[in-house]
Amino acid sequence: MNGEIDRSWRDPELLVKALPSVILQTAFFLAPLLMTVALTFQRTKNFQLTWTWSLDTWTDIFTKPHYWTILGHTLFMAITCVILCLVIAFPVAYALATRLRAFQDHVKVLITFAFLTDATLKTFGWVLFLDKNGAANYLLQQVGFPPATIDILFTDWATMLGMVYNLLSFAIFTIYLSIDAIDRSLILAAYDAGASKFRTFWEVTLPLARPGIWAASVLIFLLAVGVFLEPKVLGGGKSPMSAELIRQTFETRVNWPLGAALTLVLMTVAVFVVLLFNRVYSLKRHMGPV
Amino acid sequence: MAGEPILEIRDIRKNFGAYQALKGVSLSVQQGEFIALVGPSGCGKTTLLKQIAGFEEPDSGSLSIAGQPMLGVPAAARPTSMVFQKLALFPHMTVADNIGFPLKLRKVDPAIIAKRVEAMIELMQLKREYLTRYPRQLSGGEQQRVALARSMISEPKLLLLDEPLSALDVKLKKVLQAELKRLHRSVGVTFVHVTHDLEEAIMLADRICVMRSGEILQVGGPNDIYYRPADSFVAGFIGDTNLLAVTVKGNAVSAPGLTAADPTVPAQYVAPGLGDGPALLMVRPELITPLESGQVADFTIDVTITEIFCKGGTVQFRSNTEGGAPLIFELPGASKQPADIGDKLRLGFPKRDIYLFRERVAA
Repeated sequence: MNGEIDRSWRDPELLVKALPSVILQTAFFLAPLLMTVALTFQRTKNFQLTWTWSLDTWTDIFTKPHYWTILGHTLFMAITCVILCLVIAFPVAYALATRLRAFQDHVKVLITFAFLTDATLKTFGWVLFLDKNGAANYLLQQVGFPPATIDILFTDWATMLGMVYNLLSFAIFTIYLSIDAIDRSLILAAYDAGASKFRTFWEVTLPLARPGIWAASVLIFLLAVGVFLEPKVLGGGKSPMSAELIRQTFETRVNWPLGAALTLVLMTVAVFVVLLFNRVYSLKRHMGPV
Repeated sequence: MAGEPILEIRDIRKNFGAYQALKGVSLSVQQGEFIALVGPSGCGKTTLLKQIAGFEEPDSGSLSIAGQPMLGVPAAARPTSMVFQKLALFPHMTVADNIGFPLKLRKVDPAIIAKRVEAMIELMQLKREYLTRYPRQLSGGEQQRVALARSMISEPKLLLLDEPLSALDVKLKKVLQAELKRLHRSVGVTFVHVTHDLEEAIMLADRICVMRSGEILQVGGPNDIYYRPADSFVAGFIGDTNLLAVTVKGNAVSAPGLTAADPTVPAQYVAPGLGDGPALLMVRPELITPLESGQVADFTIDVTITEIFCKGGTVQFRSNTEGGAPLIFELPGASKQPADIGDKLRLGFPKRDIYLFRERVAA
């Protein structure tokens, strides 16, 4: 890990080779980011951006708890979404990779179709399904339930349902791949050494699937932090999440400096959470050096 | 060696759909034996090993280890231990945890596990500092030793080896073959070694069980397999050999170009149950000698040299008999070359170096 990499920074040949990548990263990632940072120190007047340096936006953000409530709510929803996705996806992925090998291709096609269908379409589909006079309640009423048994539309429950539904396939595929990659002879070796099925799962399958679980968690967390469709369509916009707040700030309030600042806060917090999780994970990890 | 066999297999059958992987296999192995299951891929040797390990259950037949019936007993509860072809070391555990895993499952005290792991490390001639390393940080040969250590730490009654050497380069293979032999001698555990390499089997095993198409063709010591093969399949499975088509009548053999003062063959050089009719006469290339004029041999045959190969220690001559049959013979590399390509030569071999058996119709 050391030595070679240290030297490479001083190697002019390697610097030249890295140049195209450095230019691309600078142009498309670093520059917009710096512009966003610069934007937060500007003011708006009559919905117009005025190029005057000030700390107004940041003062606003750090003094109003409103933004932080929304951010806290967003993090809570995202982390809950990650946990729910893992809990649902792991058994599905495990079954796909082990028990359902015979027809796993069919199941994968079904999941892929669900995955590829446009999220907006699926989300509005849920509205039709969950509505007081929608399909779900109609069917329940037909079998004797009182009218409007399901009344979760335009609540956080509906938002969470939509988020889990839209992000679940990411978790299933990521975890499936990690379980599928486990060498079958490792499982047999554990049985052979005297391990029960549960013990084998606990000592071999689960630790080896850990990278997949970890990747799925990060992926879903980052996607979940950025959702605005589900809280708007299924949650009815009653308790907006950060992404929706940012969209409103840019589009409705036309306050670019505030929008840029909120974006930076969300990004920083999201990265911080991922790093924190990474730290905990690597402290508890059972894997050797990769 | 006598006494109750450690492993007794009776008439085991295993089908996968319409495919018969094992067509009624019976085998008994004595305590402390080193037995090799040999055959080409698809012969059922690995399937048989899986039945012994308990990874699969046969459709019919019986299997007992140390007198205990084993069918229906899961792999985890059988007194067997497998060394896998791909080694199957747990990548997320250190070498020490890998080797100690079977004992950890048996709830052995951690201090005792540590002591036993160290003893295994010593037995396998591995360095102590490897204990805290992960398998992927070790070389192929070292990983092999760790896998062996893990399999032997629980003191199994049977050590099952599923071609563990097949993925290694030739040099390392030779080292580990010697290692296996040494281990077998020093621990006295019964080894069941699956390999497609008959030469490896002959080198290592006390007894060899040659399989083909789900059946056992021959079980015997290395010399039996090499010099007295049951049929042409077993004979052709190792190295180069000569199989001359001959006709047997009474006890006498005849073939075009083959001359003998007394063509009768004593019963010990004839496969049991071989009657009159067409048969194969086997003579190993290294047992044929070129004859100077005036020299005599039990059997002589005239040939024309077609190719000469240098094999390092020996020189191999390929030739055709007057009947058109190919005949190979080998001479020590240092000896004077008796002939060149195109030369005619008289070859001879003694009766005690031949073996007569029936040809096997290809399955």
